[in-house]
Amino acid sequence: MATMLWLQTGACSGDTMSLLNAHGPSLESLVANGDIQVLWHPSISTEPTSHLAKLIEQIEKGERELDILCVEGSLITGPYGTGMFDSFRGRAKIDIVRALAGQAQAVLAVGSCAAFGGIPAAPPNPTDCTGMQFTRDTAGGMFDTAWRSKSGMPVINLGGCPTHPLTITRTLAMLAQGLPVELDAHNRPTAFFNQMVHQGCTRNEYHEYDVEDTELGGRACMFFNLGCQGPTTMANCNSELWNQRSSKTRAGVPCFGCTSPNFPKNGDLFRTEKMGEVPVTLPLGVSRGHYMAYKNLAQAAAPMRVRDKKMDT
Amino acid sequence: MARKTVNIELNRVEGDLEFQVDLEGDRVADARCIGTLFRGFEQLLIGRAPKDALVITPRVCGICGTAHLFTTALALERMNDVPVPAHATIIRNLCLMAENVQSDIRQTFLFFAPDLLNPRYADHALAPALEKAFKPLQGSVVLSALDVSRTLVEIVAIFGGQWPHSTYMIPGGVTRPATVSDIIDCREIVDKAVRWFEKEVVGDSLDNWLSLDTAERFLEWVDEPAHRDTALGLFTRFARDQGLHTYGAGTDQFLSAGAHYDPVEWQAPYGEQRTLLAGGVYDGATHKIEAFRPELITEHVRHSWYRPYPDGRHPFEGETVPDYQPESDRYSWAKAPRYDDRVVETGPLAELLTGGDALIVDLLKKEGANTWLRQFARLRRASVLLDLMRAQLKALSQELNNPHYLAPADGSLDDGDGFGFVQAARGTLGHWVQVRNGEITRYQIVTPTAWNASPKDSAGRHGHWEQSVIGLPLTDIDNPIEISHVVRSHDPCLVCTVHFVGAGKKVRYGV
Ligand code: SF4
Ligand code: SF4
Repeated sequence: MATMLWLQTGACSGDTMSLLNAHGPSLESLVANGDIQVLWHPSISTEPTSHLAKLIEQIEKGERELDILCVEGSLITGPYGTGMFDSFRGRAKIDIVRALAGQAQAVLAVGSCAAFGGIPAAPPNPTDCTGMQFTRDTAGGMFDTAWRSKSGMPVINLGGCPTHPLTITRTLAMLAQGLPVELDAHNRPTAFFNQMVHQGCTRNEYHEYDVEDTELGGRACMFFNLGCQGPTTMANCNSELWNQRSSKTRAGVPCFGCTSPNFPKNGDLFRTEKMGEVPVTLPLGVSRGHYMAYKNLAQAAAPMRVRDKKMDT
Repeated sequence: MARKTVNIELNRVEGDLEFQVDLEGDRVADARCIGTLFRGFEQLLIGRAPKDALVITPRVCGICGTAHLFTTALALERMNDVPVPAHATIIRNLCLMAENVQSDIRQTFLFFAPDLLNPRYADHALAPALEKAFKPLQGSVVLSALDVSRTLVEIVAIFGGQWPHSTYMIPGGVTRPATVSDIIDCREIVDKAVRWFEKEVVGDSLDNWLSLDTAERFLEWVDEPAHRDTALGLFTRFARDQGLHTYGAGTDQFLSAGAHYDPVEWQAPYGEQRTLLAGGVYDGATHKIEAFRPELITEHVRHSWYRPYPDGRHPFEGETVPDYQPESDRYSWAKAPRYDDRVVETGPLAELLTGGDALIVDLLKKEGANTWLRQFARLRRASVLLDLMRAQLKALSQELNNPHYLAPADGSLDDGDGFGFVQAARGTLGHWVQVRNGEITRYQIVTPTAWNASPKDSAGRHGHWEQSVIGLPLTDIDNPIEISHVVRSHDPCLVCTVHFVGAGKKVRYGV
């Protein structure tokens, strides 16, 4: 059984809600199966916070083993490097995280805040916050790139705002059951970050034929005008449906790339930057020349049902 | 990494809370509700495109992101009276109701109920039954509550793609119309939640339960065999036996902006709130309701870590420049919002009082505000909303062929001043936005938690939570469970901590 301690730093609790939304495995089944023992979670633990203070002390001193440290929220260093914009019992949370991470077998940054800085790190970054081992897409955050947890892993980044529910509980299960955790270049588990949001989007036929929406609220593809980052964003939103129901792009909401280190991008989130007719950022791996060539062909080949945007999504 | 703070407003959104009290003997002599987290959300919005707020503000809070999204859409629409079709308003209402019911259920059974298992109560006759029902992650009611709350937010996922955090409400409507399948799916989800509520929570039909309209009838009803051992029966009998209905009042002014928009009446040009549950300020002494007037809201910073200004300011004129002064009589990252210079309470209790729930009004008249009633009102609201959700689904089925989105006229989001209110899970939430030349120049958020958890204001008046514990006698100063009950009955954000200073002796700060 793996012990788990969950800390919230500069967080909105969205990842905690996501954790509670996970159904397979659910948190309660991980506990019931004997995979995870929750030493502390701010919204589940019933002990007074003096208990957390005691746990922190014991773990810091090496008197108690910690297998998995989960951190939710950005790591706030303001004001003036003190970290006191976010404190627990008069101690900056970043100091607590640093101390606990040094004792943990594995450290999970749950959500894009903890992984990369997330929304609070968007300019002008009023709280001077960073991610745990990245600052947006720059390697090195609160920890430098060489930092490793006791099991020899860097901080495992569960990108997402919030993280997909199943990504959280499945990663916990992998660690608890001793399954291998392979990471990508941003230290995200490849098991959940090996595909694009674009794959599995129900609007894909519109994309292929270059049938574009210019206004929100429509049925067609949102890549060309409305800022959809599905073709450049690694995440499982369209293959593991959210809340077992849907995904943002299926519901007509552009993908804002929330699993990526640079979320939120600077500049208008609902607009696609273009050079002439062509988006500045093309789908992953697509060359500009090929793109220009097939874009016009595709438009010309679009069947009426697609051109009329009659297909439901 | 030092930063000069610029002269614009930012925020104090709900975040971590600590609560400090001063004791005299075993009595709470003074209290400080301390927001320990500052994230600067309002600053992030300055200079961005107006619609970006629809992506950013939901992330203020993972528990009530739908409420923030809704409020942002309203504020942007109000800048230039952007029309919204009824189809969209109904979908927005449904999603907010789903979020609020989910929150009411989780708050009651995951956050409030565990305190009933406190060691203090180990010898109580009801202790074994409470343990069986409410043990964290194991109790029968807790497990079923987790399941049903998880299912309820699927309604948001149907229309918005995911919960939490999506951006499906946009100025002029929503991103996707309802389909016949959606209506069937949502109905199935609501019905499942109703069945759960009837079986686990009240042990009676929803109609019967909602028809209880006097304190007397309710107290008889709750003692009947079919109801006494349900979740509500256990909670009520135990809480009242321990006297939770005798303390924790706080202020007697209750604020609600009005809950859920009337899809037909709430149309441009937007005047007063037109809501399904009426809003207003309910006076707990006279039992009269005044109309809600947004212009009477001000925020004070006298005891907050922001650059000082005298008295209070309306959110359109406010500023929020951090000024961290730990060694002073200022003690919080929360500002102190006031309504017409009054300290107010917001939340489900206020929502049902102004909305005219006969049972809640009668209980308040008989016993005054208290800890049990506040928590009870939360469960009551969940059932009122489940009932309303069915009605909204019916209304939605009439809208299937009507537009879900009307593109705003060119330029209508480029310049203007707007504001919006919704009743989030924890109470009245307001956003104020100012846009110039296509960029946000001001953004101001006043959260429900800011109302309830405010520190003292310029006149030295304590915030509502502070008032609700001052004077409270503690049975055991080393296990101040009474404070926990009072604070949690307000649905503090998840990480609220009762930080207890100086057990056994009087500790004084410069306040
Ligand atoms: S990553 Fe998103 S969901 Fe997670 S804490 Fe940050 S804002 Fe909230
Ligand atoms: S809407 Fe986005 S994710 Fe969907 S097909 Fe278009 S680009 Fe891909």
